[in-house]
Amino acid sequence: MCSPASLARLAVIVTILACTPALRPGVAIAQEGLQPLLQKYQAEIAKPSRTTVDRVLAALLRENRPGTSEFLRRWQDRGVYERPGDGFFFYAQEASGALHLIDIDSGVAVAEVTRREINQIRPNSGVRGVIAAALAPFELNAPEPARRQAALDAIARSGDADQIVPLADSIDHEPDAVLKRRKERLLVLLTAQFGTPQSARLTAISDLAGDISIEARSVLNQLTARQAGVAIALPEGANIARVLEVGEDISGTEAYDRLVGAGLAPPRQSATDRREVLAQHIVDGAVGGVPLHQLDTDAARTRAYEALEAAGTVPARAAENEVARTVAAHVFYETYVQPDPEVTAAAEDALATTTRTLGLYQTLDLVLDGLSLASIFFLAAIGLAITFGVMGVINMAHGEFIMMGAYTGYVVQIFIPDYTFSLIVALPLAFAVTFGAGVTMERLVIRHLYTRPLETLLATFGISIALQQLAKNVFGTQARPLTAPDWLSGALTLNDIVSISNIRVAIFVLSLIFLALLLFILKRTRLGLEMRAVTQNPGMAASMGINPNRINMLTFGLGSGIAGIAGVAIGLYAQVTSEMGANYIVQSFMTVVVGGVGNVWGTLAGASLIGFLQKGIEWFNPSNTLAAQTYMILFIIMFIQFRPKGIVALKGRAAGD
Amino acid sequence: MSEPEIAPRKRFLAENPSALRFIGCLALFTLGVTVLSEGFGLAFLSTSMVKILGMTLCLCLIAVAMDVVWGYCGILSLGHFAFFGLGGYAIGMWLMYARTEGIVVQSLAAAPIPPTPTEIENAIATQIFGVVGSNELPFVWGFAHSLPLQLLLVLLVPGLLALIFGWLAFRSRVTGVYLSILTQAMTLALSLYLFQNDTGLRGNNGLSGLQNIPGLLHLSQSTLAIWFFWASALALGLGYLLFAWLVSGKFGSVIRAIRDNEARVRFLGYDVERYKLVIFTLTAVVSAIAGALYYPQAGIINPAEIAPIASIYLAVWVAIGGRGRLYGAVIGAAAVSLSSSWFTGGGAPSINLGFYTILWTDWWLVLLGLGFVAVTLFFPRGIGGLFDYLVRKP
Amino acid sequence: MNTRILLAVAATTTALSAAPALAQDCTVKVGVLHSLSGTMAISETTLKDTVLMLVEQQNAKGGLLGCPIEAVVVDPASDWPLFAEKARELLTVNEVDVIFGSWTSVSRKSALPVLEELNGLMFYPVQYEGEESSRNVFYTGAAPNQQAIPAVDYFLEELGVESFALLGTDYVYPRTTNNILDAYLKSKGVATEDIFVNYTPFGHSDWATIVADVVALGAGGKKVGVISTINGDANIGFYKELAAAGVSADDIPVVAFSVGEEELSGLDTTELVGHLAAWNYFQSADTEINAEFVKAWKAHAGENRVTNDPMEAHYIGFNMWVNAVTEAGTTDVDAVRQAMWGQEYPNLTGGTAVMLPNHHLTKPVLIGEIRADGQFDIISQTEEVAGDAWTDYLPDSAVLKSDWQELGCGMYNTETGTCVQMTSNY
Repeated sequence: MCSPASLARLAVIVTILACTPALRPGVAIAQEGLQPLLQKYQAEIAKPSRTTVDRVLAALLRENRPGTSEFLRRWQDRGVYERPGDGFFFYAQEASGALHLIDIDSGVAVAEVTRREINQIRPNSGVRGVIAAALAPFELNAPEPARRQAALDAIARSGDADQIVPLADSIDHEPDAVLKRRKERLLVLLTAQFGTPQSARLTAISDLAGDISIEARSVLNQLTARQAGVAIALPEGANIARVLEVGEDISGTEAYDRLVGAGLAPPRQSATDRREVLAQHIVDGAVGGVPLHQLDTDAARTRAYEALEAAGTVPARAAENEVARTVAAHVFYETYVQPDPEVTAAAEDALATTTRTLGLYQTLDLVLDGLSLASIFFLAAIGLAITFGVMGVINMAHGEFIMMGAYTGYVVQIFIPDYTFSLIVALPLAFAVTFGAGVTMERLVIRHLYTRPLETLLATFGISIALQQLAKNVFGTQARPLTAPDWLSGALTLNDIVSISNIRVAIFVLSLIFLALLLFILKRTRLGLEMRAVTQNPGMAASMGINPNRINMLTFGLGSGIAGIAGVAIGLYAQVTSEMGANYIVQSFMTVVVGGVGNVWGTLAGASLIGFLQKGIEWFNPSNTLAAQTYMILFIIMFIQFRPKGIVALKGRAAGD
Repeated sequence: MSEPEIAPRKRFLAENPSALRFIGCLALFTLGVTVLSEGFGLAFLSTSMVKILGMTLCLCLIAVAMDVVWGYCGILSLGHFAFFGLGGYAIGMWLMYARTEGIVVQSLAAAPIPPTPTEIENAIATQIFGVVGSNELPFVWGFAHSLPLQLLLVLLVPGLLALIFGWLAFRSRVTGVYLSILTQAMTLALSLYLFQNDTGLRGNNGLSGLQNIPGLLHLSQSTLAIWFFWASALALGLGYLLFAWLVSGKFGSVIRAIRDNEARVRFLGYDVERYKLVIFTLTAVVSAIAGALYYPQAGIINPAEIAPIASIYLAVWVAIGGRGRLYGAVIGAAAVSLSSSWFTGGGAPSINLGFYTILWTDWWLVLLGLGFVAVTLFFPRGIGGLFDYLVRKP
Repeated sequence: MNTRILLAVAATTTALSAAPALAQDCTVKVGVLHSLSGTMAISETTLKDTVLMLVEQQNAKGGLLGCPIEAVVVDPASDWPLFAEKARELLTVNEVDVIFGSWTSVSRKSALPVLEELNGLMFYPVQYEGEESSRNVFYTGAAPNQQAIPAVDYFLEELGVESFALLGTDYVYPRTTNNILDAYLKSKGVATEDIFVNYTPFGHSDWATIVADVVALGAGGKKVGVISTINGDANIGFYKELAAAGVSADDIPVVAFSVGEEELSGLDTTELVGHLAAWNYFQSADTEINAEFVKAWKAHAGENRVTNDPMEAHYIGFNMWVNAVTEAGTTDVDAVRQAMWGQEYPNLTGGTAVMLPNHHLTKPVLIGEIRADGQFDIISQTEEVAGDAWTDYLPDSAVLKSDWQELGCGMYNTETGTCVQMTSNY
């Protein structure tokens, strides 16, 4: 925490505090203008870097000429320009492609230039953060709430001890209730980190107990940060966190490595080192009496080295028992970086309380993620649950219907720029487009193949690759943007741990709607009755006056249409490419098969199983998503072996077989 | 099958003129390519063309295997390309290891002290895995130093996988479409597994430089290409004969009966599962051999080769060629793969419609896809069926 | 091979004696080995168009050695074995003098044995993981020390990042780059527990958990930064999730190595303003030649097309090759290679690119912040950095060195003083 940078900033802030009144508008003291001072630091201002900005800030705030805080704000917002010829700085105003340069001190427009003739100064976000932090104490009382908010953000990002007083002072005058709460909270966080007296600090720390927000945990974790150490005896007066048992807390090898790292023991000799030493002592085609050509085994090399050791030509290696002895002679421990034991103890207590609540919320978040993934799988597979599950048609082009839906959404957005309205248009249109495509496909291809299910697979695969290539030819291979309206961007946040993006909530809701709709159609409408009749026994259905052709066509169209809507939803949260459908097809089939064919509830069960399983495996090994997918599929294969009919198996005659 | 060995073979060839005819055509084709090749004769066919033809023969072999398992036994497996790939990986491991070993030994020989076996192995590992950021030889490479062992793995790994997978699947009576989806899931799982770097088979990069055969580095690629072409032709010939013999006898009748009505065969007292398992495993092993011959010609194998789509294509070749007749599979595989490379390789002239120019790189897949549809709808017997029609007419 | 040299020599002598008159009798052939279909077409088609544009421009200037240049375009269709096959076809059937091609490392590794066997010449234009230096390839994209390391330095020094999340697609470039970065960060004193690594499959779309994991790193009390080697389409889902989670660049900056102007055109960047990318070129680079290049490209390919880093690499590579051929007076590979070493050409971003004897370029490293219009604000530009084939941060490759000019070896072990091999690791 005591880096030179923060020391410098401390100096800055002390100075600022001394001359705060001067910064208030209207109290300007007659001084030289700002420009000459800026010219003194020309290079640092024109090419700002986090390593130099502290110095410039200190100087500017020390002199505190009129307009300094205005300049800092503009500088931070990239509103300052440098004229290449003389290096002078200006503000600028956009005017029909050109820029009006404005003198910093007088505020008068001095010249009109093109963008090419002038350099815009672009402080990076590190520099912007430092400037914002330096400005924060003054901005806390700024008239605009947005500026006060920005100041609070700056303090949250890089808080330090000297912000405590101005922050505390500003709380009483804060008119905005939300900002006031935020200020009070930041004050607690700052006090816990830097506060004096001790009692106030300890109170602030215990206030943070059980607070699972990232800010609070970040403060507590900083207070309890540890450092590994090793010595002959435990150091006096250090704030020891714990002593490590060799063999239990750390392995012997690790312990020795630490000793080597601390310079307390000689490094182990690696095989490479030994070879090098041996190579330096070749005498007459032999090393230590062992002929060179025999040195191609470890045993021979050891012999040769021992011979050299015995002759005293090389230093002795650390033998195994010696390593153990050295390790035993030392004590390994961890110390707190924070020297005050009372503070660290309080922080550890607070953190322990937090950890308990944390686990609960993490589990909740995992469940939400699993639910979200399950709903995505369900949405992708639900169309298939109808065409494959109910009708028994293997439609390999199902993924391409998803893609068609997504591209429909994209095309609609080209014509209707308002995202909300375009979404309202896109959803039914996507249904219509893919419904049409599905019906066409059923009429032209699939109805000829009802007796040959495996060949449907081939024919629809042909359609799938043709459609995919067609999409490439029409839309190009680039991913296309499909943007969610504002009310769908952002996330539903319970706290810093549990949050889920709105678009995923929308997908979840959409899949619930589809589930309800589909169940309704299948169980409560005439169409659904006829569908079930036709799939169970077309001949019998036909003799009852049902037109199987029409029903098949409608059923297939319905399944395809739903895929189209799913496409819009998936495109909103991921990428729209010609290959997006192919990514979902195998998974969708597995969802339907695992869940149990011929039953919408089954598809729901399948999607839930796959979604939660995937998230569960990911949780065990968060660094490798690919492995999670692999094991998930392996599990599914095994699952189907032992439950070939899926989770929700149809019973009786409907099961077919 | 209990009859003496020689008797059925005589009868087999006599009763199957189509097998004889096929072998004749293959021999003629091989001779023709040899004479015209760059490596030997007239240099009319470039080395890359010879390689393409050799690889096509391997594809024909796996197509024949696919035809047996699907066309004759009715199991639409969408996983045979996985076995093909495993065969390629198995041989590729030896090719990479041995080639690298040569380089490493030569480079370490310059050191003052001769290297230990561990040092050699570490250096090999660094060379092979340095590119994926590791320097340890994973345990799956345990046999990679030995050609015979690795050749054994070519047969064993896919064979065992097929055996276990088949045993599980057939035992649970997973059939038809479900079996197809299950085999597809297996392929996907395998390709995802191989995609992981931690697997120890170099992840997405796969094994490359396979066209350089250790011990034969002094030979030019044009010579090697023709050798591999011969080997592929030989493998195709033998594989074809094996399967033709298999499907011609009683065994063949049983598996065709399983295809047509599995339940009835079971009621007749046959152990349907065992028959299916034998066919599934045997075709898997033959696919692996085809793969082991294919990838040294292709030069590189990586997990994308095993992706589920490859196996679907395989089924499509067989469907286009005509199921239930072995030469149909050969025709299908050769026709589709060669025309694919002709169309996308810029061989086919683009068509100018005035307002729009049809470039085949853009439109070939559309044509191919619609072609599948047309074949399934209008020529369910495929190109091979056309032959039957011609043969029977006079 | 000999006949080809003879032919080339013969061609040049005739060309020298009666250059203008013979202009139509000879052609210089340039092979273009970029996927025009399949998954990589998204990136590679642009590069094919770039080479065609450069050929057109050169022909307008009077061709090369008095001959017109003809581009031979083939389509390896994002199918890695096809790269080997098509490379062989280009070199033996079409007999091209040089190849511009490849994007992914695996496609390069596929073509490499063929190039080395037939002594071809290829220019590879994409940033890559290094650890390679072939006699027959010139690498005009960035090596890790020209992109990844400077970007991490920027994180450490300018943004004060202390805790790193390395997110990547699971393939060789992210793996190797992250390995190098891991070693580099540790050498800079970053602890193991402050480095979070995650790999996802190609085209991954379910980013909620990973983004949440990254956000949760902030609880450690250290500033978190993300180094992304996520490839292609998967970026869209990632950035959408990032925006939805409200992760601002001020809290958790993300620097990407594979996201350029082209990739950003697939999403709405208003929520991503301030996140970073590190390249050697941005379209927004403010120089005269870049303005010209962008103008020529838009005229060639369409008004709404953007330029990107690999295009600049081809631009430099092609022009260097043209100059080297002119200098050597022949297109013979060995002579051209000789002439390539030390070849200089101005970068589009200012400064000069020099071809080093290790077949890599010197390049400036640029860091840009994403703007709302999908372009980048360049906020940092270094001096030219010399590309390093073998990284200094991994012990096994730290001892290796590539110098084709002096040592005649691309994989020279400086410890033992021997050339490990003349060919490359494939």
